Amino acid sequence: MIRDIGAQRILNVDLTSGRTWLEEVDREDLLHFLGGRGINAKLLYERVPKGIDPLGPDNVLIFGPGTLTGTSAPSSGRTSVTCKGPATGLYLKVSVGGHLGAELKYAGYDYLVIHGRAENPVFLWIDDDAVELRDARHLWGLGTREADRLIREELGDDEIETGLIGPAGENRVLFSCIIFSLYNSASRGGVGAVMGSKNLKAIAARGTGGLRVAEGDEFFELAARTRRELAQDAGSNTLHRWGTSGSLPDLNEMKMLPSYNFNQVRIDQAEKLSGQYMEDEGYLIGRESCFSCSTACHRFVRTLEHKYGEVRDSGPELETVMSLGAECGIIDTEAVIKGNQLCNDYGMDVISVGHVISWAMECYEKGVIKGKQADELDLHFGNAESQLELIRRIALREGLLGDLLANGTKQAAEEVGGDSWKWAIQAKGLEQSGVDTRMAKSYALAFAVNPRGPDHLMTECFAEFGITEEARALIKEITGDEKLADPTLLEKRADIVLWHEDCYAASDALGFCVFTSTAAYAVNPRNMSQLFGHALGVEFSEEELMRAGRRTVTLERCFNVREGALRVDDTLPWRMMNTPVPEGPQEGMVTDKEMLDQLLDQYYEAHGWDVGTGIPTREALETLGLLELCGDCAAA
Amino acid sequence: MDTLNIDAEKCTACRACELACSFAHEGAFVPTLSRIRVVRLMGEGANIPVVCVNCARPACVEVCPSGAAYIDRTVPVVRVNEEECIGCGDCVKACPFGAADFNKEREVALICDLCDGDPACVEHCIYGALTFEPVQSLAQRKRRVTAEAHAHRDEIA
Repeated sequence: MIRDIGAQRILNVDLTSGRTWLEEVDREDLLHFLGGRGINAKLLYERVPKGIDPLGPDNVLIFGPGTLTGTSAPSSGRTSVTCKGPATGLYLKVSVGGHLGAELKYAGYDYLVIHGRAENPVFLWIDDDAVELRDARHLWGLGTREADRLIREELGDDEIETGLIGPAGENRVLFSCIIFSLYNSASRGGVGAVMGSKNLKAIAARGTGGLRVAEGDEFFELAARTRRELAQDAGSNTLHRWGTSGSLPDLNEMKMLPSYNFNQVRIDQAEKLSGQYMEDEGYLIGRESCFSCSTACHRFVRTLEHKYGEVRDSGPELETVMSLGAECGIIDTEAVIKGNQLCNDYGMDVISVGHVISWAMECYEKGVIKGKQADELDLHFGNAESQLELIRRIALREGLLGDLLANGTKQAAEEVGGDSWKWAIQAKGLEQSGVDTRMAKSYALAFAVNPRGPDHLMTECFAEFGITEEARALIKEITGDEKLADPTLLEKRADIVLWHEDCYAASDALGFCVFTSTAAYAVNPRNMSQLFGHALGVEFSEEELMRAGRRTVTLERCFNVREGALRVDDTLPWRMMNTPVPEGPQEGMVTDKEMLDQLLDQYYEAHGWDVGTGIPTREALETLGLLELCGDCAAA
Repeated sequence: MDTLNIDAEKCTACRACELACSFAHEGAFVPTLSRIRVVRLMGEGANIPVVCVNCARPACVEVCPSGAAYIDRTVPVVRVNEEECIGCGDCVKACPFGAADFNKEREVALICDLCDGDPACVEHCIYGALTFEPVQSLAQRKRRVTAEAHAHRDEIA
């Protein structure tokens, strides 16, 4: 079936009863929220009442490919996965690439909403119109690679797309992930545990249909032009050649590489974990795209000496080599390739895995975790063997330490006690990604207000560094002054964050990778709004697009407010606020409480939210047309 | 005579070729109706575009019982006269490469027509995995690669 792109359909699957049903997305909602992440947020807000257990049957797990996913719009193949998150007890949206999103579209569905809990492990098989729950007891306990292989074999179709959890999701590890198309991960906040709690091992999809846009020639031409522009972008070319970890040598040089659990900002021989090194030494054997991507930043790598076993798998990202490598003091290419493969196979978010282990290593070196508590592992920084063993134990919740760390650093520190909470690089219950938020102030603010916890994957304010001409031009457009492209300034950081929030939310909603819209700028609010307009056959302005992004961000905020989150929850890990950068050009910098308060004041004011509580006001909700949907949680 | 050439090492499986092809022929984004398909060998790190290689003596044409599949010498390319195609699938069975498929929307054969000599897939392949050039210049380029490999034989050893 070839469908019009503007007629969106929701496939609901209730695992408790086995019932499936379709719904149509209201056209007005589509124009208000753009699709993907935006519609996901609305569905979650409407369907998940306050206070439910994120790992109980009342949570829903929503898969929403972007509205333009499945078309020729460049790098538009991403899917938003949304639920109430088990690591934070708050709103959780994760963006993932790969090919499953497009396949769901071709099968005839724009959203997949999983309700309830199956009695026994099942997997969902979507074969165009035929939707079936199949027994997955024989797959339970298997890694994502083997489970994927067996599903393809069972269905007799090697062109299906899959989304799977590994043992970590089954065991409700609070940072377990969902692996799409083997090479991509919906990583953060424990979406895998939510899927595991529902006894859903996998989604397999085959779609033989297609999508039609309203203004075909205009759409196709603009998409092709944007693709060519992206292909010429220097940043995209670097990402293609070396992957995300290509920036590691520069970060190390600039003393911005989090190392030893954020105690250091550089590490010797960091280049051995870089994309450059992996290409030069022959670890790299291929570059992989997500659907319709014109960058292909993903790696496919192999081990050469097989020091920790032979690996031939998707390659480590920058965040992976930072968290498993530098943060744990492990400068060993083969160890990081192996660790990455284990995380992908067990189905765990590498950012959190690296950070729970680096936290445990710091605790061990400071004598807070010792002997029996460490399950007899030598947890000194730099011990690769121990790290790889611990990855396995965490995924399987094996032993005292494995089980402790599987709940994330927030809970683990509460159990271990003493000062260990100060070394837990987390806020809201989520481990921070590898950005030093002591120096970069837009990042600090964006991380603190991020509804899912401190990372760069809801709002990427890269422009504040002013590295490229386009970045400086953007800062000038936002603030009126190019000189504010300086990450150490506090001035107008809220304006920078809000622009990026809006743009990020719009990118997610349409399916665009933010590497194209907030790191490179060939995809931007102007051409996104034009592509959306051509796709639906409507006039749609840049302002409307950004407002839809703002609406989504505000609705996500309301979800957290309803759960009881307040200004006090918008914070940063203790170390980011209390321990200054130890060396380098940023030496002495910190984002202390006073600075953060100043930034938060700016931010709530810019949103028109109540400054004392961080709760949206009635006026703010009314302006965005959200009063009816979430007026109940407006500030008094 | 230009031919569609594939350098699979450069293919990243972005599938822009499938989108361009189906848009050019069907006016919609439908990978299963694309005449070129990217086969992803999951776990191998290999992505291989597969498309009609324009055999000099095409099996699809030889077996076609209705005469719908024929060689158009002006491009040259295999064409399917959709009016005459009876949808028997014999061409699919005969093609040794899996490059002939079945268009289930219109129930006719689905074979690359090189877009009349200006293939959309090549135009939209930004990774350079697809090229359209005379087979002689391809041979010349490959001769060069072979020669260079020989020249550096000592270094490799």
